[in-house]
Amino acid sequence: MQSSLFAVLALLVLTAVGFLIGRRRAVAAGSGRASRLHSLPNYYGYYLALWTGLPAFVLLALYGLFGASLVNTLALGELEREAAPLIREYEAQLARDDQYQALAEETQQIEAEALSARNEMFRAEREGGDAERYLRALGALTAQRNEIAAERQVRRDQVASSVAARAPRTIPGVRARAGFEYWRAPSERRELFIADARALAFNEGLASRNTEEIRAAALALRPWEDLFRWSAAGVALALSVAGLAYARTRIRASFRARDRVEGVVGLALMMTSAIAILTTLGIVFSLLFESIRFFASIDWRIHEFLFGLHWSPQIAIRADQVGQSGAFGAVPLFAGTALITLIAMLVAAPIGLMAAIYLSEYASPRLRAWAKPALEILAGVPTVVYGFFALLTVGPFLRQFAMMLGYEDAVTQSALSAGLVMGVMIIPFVSSLSDDVINAVPQTLRDGSYAMGATKSETVRHVVFPAALPGIVGALLLAVSRAVGETMIVVMAAGQGANLTANPLESVTTITVQIVMLLTGDQEFDSPKTLSAFALGLVLFVMTLILNIIALRVVQRFRERYE
Amino acid sequence: MNNAPTIRDAVQARLAKRHRAEMRFQFYGLAAISAAVLFLAVLLGSIIIQSIPAFTAHRLVLDVEIRPEIADPRGDGSEASLRRGSYNTLIQNSLRDQFPEAGSVGELRELFGLYSAVNAARLLNEVVNNPEVLGETLPFSLPISDDADLYLKGLTTDEEFLPGAAPLTLEPGMDDALTLRSQTGAPVFDVFLDLVQARQDAALDQARIRAERTAARAAEELDTDTRNSLEAEAQRARDLVQALQEARSDTGPVRLNSQTASLMLRAQGGVLRINALARDGLSAEGTWLVGPDTASQTAQDWSLWVIETPSIARRITDRQIVWARTLKERGLIKNGLNTTLFTNADSREPELAGVAGALAGSILTMVITMLLAVPIGVGAAIYLEEFAPKNRLTDFIEVNINNLAAVPSIVFGLLGLAVFINLFGFPRSAPLVGGMVLALMTLPTVIISARAALKAVPPSIREAALGVGASRTQAVFHHVLPLAMPGILTGSIIGLAQALGETAPLLMIGMVAFIADPPTLGLSGFTEPATVMPVQIYIWSSSAERAFEARTAAAILALLTLLVSFNAVAIYLRRRFERRW
Repeated sequence: MQSSLFAVLALLVLTAVGFLIGRRRAVAAGSGRASRLHSLPNYYGYYLALWTGLPAFVLLALYGLFGASLVNTLALGELEREAAPLIREYEAQLARDDQYQALAEETQQIEAEALSARNEMFRAEREGGDAERYLRALGALTAQRNEIAAERQVRRDQVASSVAARAPRTIPGVRARAGFEYWRAPSERRELFIADARALAFNEGLASRNTEEIRAAALALRPWEDLFRWSAAGVALALSVAGLAYARTRIRASFRARDRVEGVVGLALMMTSAIAILTTLGIVFSLLFESIRFFASIDWRIHEFLFGLHWSPQIAIRADQVGQSGAFGAVPLFAGTALITLIAMLVAAPIGLMAAIYLSEYASPRLRAWAKPALEILAGVPTVVYGFFALLTVGPFLRQFAMMLGYEDAVTQSALSAGLVMGVMIIPFVSSLSDDVINAVPQTLRDGSYAMGATKSETVRHVVFPAALPGIVGALLLAVSRAVGETMIVVMAAGQGANLTANPLESVTTITVQIVMLLTGDQEFDSPKTLSAFALGLVLFVMTLILNIIALRVVQRFRERYE
Repeated sequence: MNNAPTIRDAVQARLAKRHRAEMRFQFYGLAAISAAVLFLAVLLGSIIIQSIPAFTAHRLVLDVEIRPEIADPRGDGSEASLRRGSYNTLIQNSLRDQFPEAGSVGELRELFGLYSAVNAARLLNEVVNNPEVLGETLPFSLPISDDADLYLKGLTTDEEFLPGAAPLTLEPGMDDALTLRSQTGAPVFDVFLDLVQARQDAALDQARIRAERTAARAAEELDTDTRNSLEAEAQRARDLVQALQEARSDTGPVRLNSQTASLMLRAQGGVLRINALARDGLSAEGTWLVGPDTASQTAQDWSLWVIETPSIARRITDRQIVWARTLKERGLIKNGLNTTLFTNADSREPELAGVAGALAGSILTMVITMLLAVPIGVGAAIYLEEFAPKNRLTDFIEVNINNLAAVPSIVFGLLGLAVFINLFGFPRSAPLVGGMVLALMTLPTVIISARAALKAVPPSIREAALGVGASRTQAVFHHVLPLAMPGILTGSIIGLAQALGETAPLLMIGMVAFIADPPTLGLSGFTEPATVMPVQIYIWSSSAERAFEARTAAAILALLTLLVSFNAVAIYLRRRFERRW
């Protein structure tokens, strides 16, 4: 840390020196008169500073991003190579172990049974058979498989410890054992192993364990880290000095320094706008990549994910957990999302639209001056605040109200309370978008209508509204996309149970709620449960993207018509 | 032209109807706006009302004797020895001095439940910082438990104080119990008896209705499982009705228990809890919870104290209520401004929880967001508005930016989790990653508003600059950008305000953890685990303790204040520097 800070400081000083040298040389090249130079003297300074600083800083940034993982890979790769005899021995022993091989066969058999049960369940669901029975059978099978997997793990651990025990107690032996432990660890344990080793080696936080193997790994990390750190600092400084020397020789009175500097500036600006593309690409590829891993883990039964009626992503741990078989049928989530979005739009569309019409056609300037900021405040309230409001004020109120009307099973977390509050959240969105659209309708259309003797409301209903309709539809589509992707209100107020119901007084769950539930709290990466969140994210992204593209198109067409 | 009058008549006839339609339409518009404003008012009003209890807190000030044998177990006054001292025992001793009659283990546990043991750590620090206080008695102020605090604010239960009608005699009975008897033969406890009676009647009615309703629903229900469970419920309700009826017809003394309201009697400077009352209202049986000043057989001046909520329905026991009120009357518990809320980080104990940690996390996160989103966003806007050639690529970038502006925020959280944390290996829960994710999320807002600001600068400015020989870069950076700066700043601040209130993407990258220590406001703070204001609100709102409800509302008000000030700065900048061309 200290050395890289030192390198950064040295580079900053060098860059400043480069600027000054560039200026001075330029002035000298123009024999003291700036008018003889192609560019202003400062540009020669900038040019030199760029050559001095830019390559070196890029190198340091690359080191900062990838240095640590490179060091880890190299050091642990070294240890793994040293562990090669142990690994060979371990694999040979497992292959010879009858008990282990029997367990492996059993696993395959159970997986085949589970696959057929799953297909049966899906068929039963489609044809209205007894899906519950297969779900239960599937749960039992999953539990059985987990049990066998645990047994296999125990067997593997036994073999591994007997193999490891044979390594000598010398330094190479310990290093080999460290490499062996790392090789055997699943990916999240590997990360922990590396984190512990780094903690011991470089005082980065506290190590959770302090074993011989981790100490050996820490010792293996240090030389690589030192090598990289010093060589990165050294190469950066060398690059900087070399850049300074090279650029210095190029300065003459006719040198087009400004063009060069502006070229770099232009390039930098272009790269900033490329970040928008990179973000989109990042979203698409990360979601696709993780979704593919998810679909692979459920054997590519994508249709089951999209059309299945059971959502219970927990994988069974005990045999008696009925229904906990890891069913990934997302229809209840889609239905819940649709129900809440519908309620929200039933609130937001009429209120937002009427408010926009009144504000743009009727309201006095004084009322506009009051009402517009009020709507803007409504738009600026964080969604978590709406969630709190839905959970503690609207939910209990609706529950009381429903019980008063004689509906006994009313719950606090219901689709209705989440949908109502979400509708309130979207009102300003609808009203400001439709306000823009209505204002874009040319005044001549209104004047024509008034000249025919129509009243104001007739003009609005029969002339302005039809003219603005495409734009209004676009605005409503954008509002729908917003409601579909809204998270906090539904997380707090809609509940978590995956009910397939059209009753707004029951609690439902949505895509976004499930993403939050799956990715917060204890999670093991690589399990289908966690990965399914990314598949849901992909569905959400594609859904909103389609809505947005259509909406933006429609609005654009509308604008072009009246421009 | 003989049909002209008829047309005019027809128009005239319809005119009133058309005018009514016009009025109706206007009314709908006005109603829509009123509904929106009403929602806003209800939202803000309910949050303000809910937050009021959180701004004050009751604190207990005890004279704590720092007994050397407890605070300094090794007796050498060294820091290591002082750190091993049992400071909670010191606080406990001081509290026991107030209520010597609390003797049993259970009673003591209730007594010490009036505060959280975490407070002892503060006493430890005080003693370690000035070891000379060993052996002295110093006043120590600590927040009382959230349940006691809620009770003293009157939020737990309704209470009633009834003056005693006639003098009482106090006769010692079995164990510690006393028998209280009216001296004049007037029924002195009948007021409370009526209350108990009324409550029993109400419970009876309710149980009866419930039994009938569930029975009716069970009869209609087709599904066997549901019918069975409904029938079982109806049976339970019928059993309850029977039990309540038996209790009513009982002529023995009325026993008070955890299901009934509690009744205290204050006499001779102490407090008695009534355990049973005779039906005639003449006598009762009770035990001292807070001992009397004088041990006399008669009480002239006494009063009844009714605690309406049954003790089973509240989290504070009868004893704790009596002790808390007594401590308040002795002047040891005082109500004051709740500074803890703004100086502490999160805690499991509501009375010790504050927003300082979340505020620090928000500041760190916002710094990263600002450093990334504003330069990148402005750079992209300048490129697209001033330099970019009109071609497929720039069109694609534009469409892209517009789409990104409408992508749900939670998707950015997924991106952060998959790319920043899993691929690049950045630390989880850190403001660095949070800031990066929020920067990507705000980028479209910044770009769009910066482009609008650049577009608003008239071309004459550029042309004038180019005309005197400036390069395009010079024209933009020396002339156009300074003029567009107010607009760009306004847009950036509004974008940052949006990011400040965002929650969902931060849940994805693990900023939802319980963080008891605020992150350091420095370079190393960027990679330490932290949480931010909106996430803190989310965490608190899902806590079970009722005291967190008010604190959540107070945290919301703090967040809204921040947002309003952000927006006020933006509006000020717009008003102050905006130029119309």
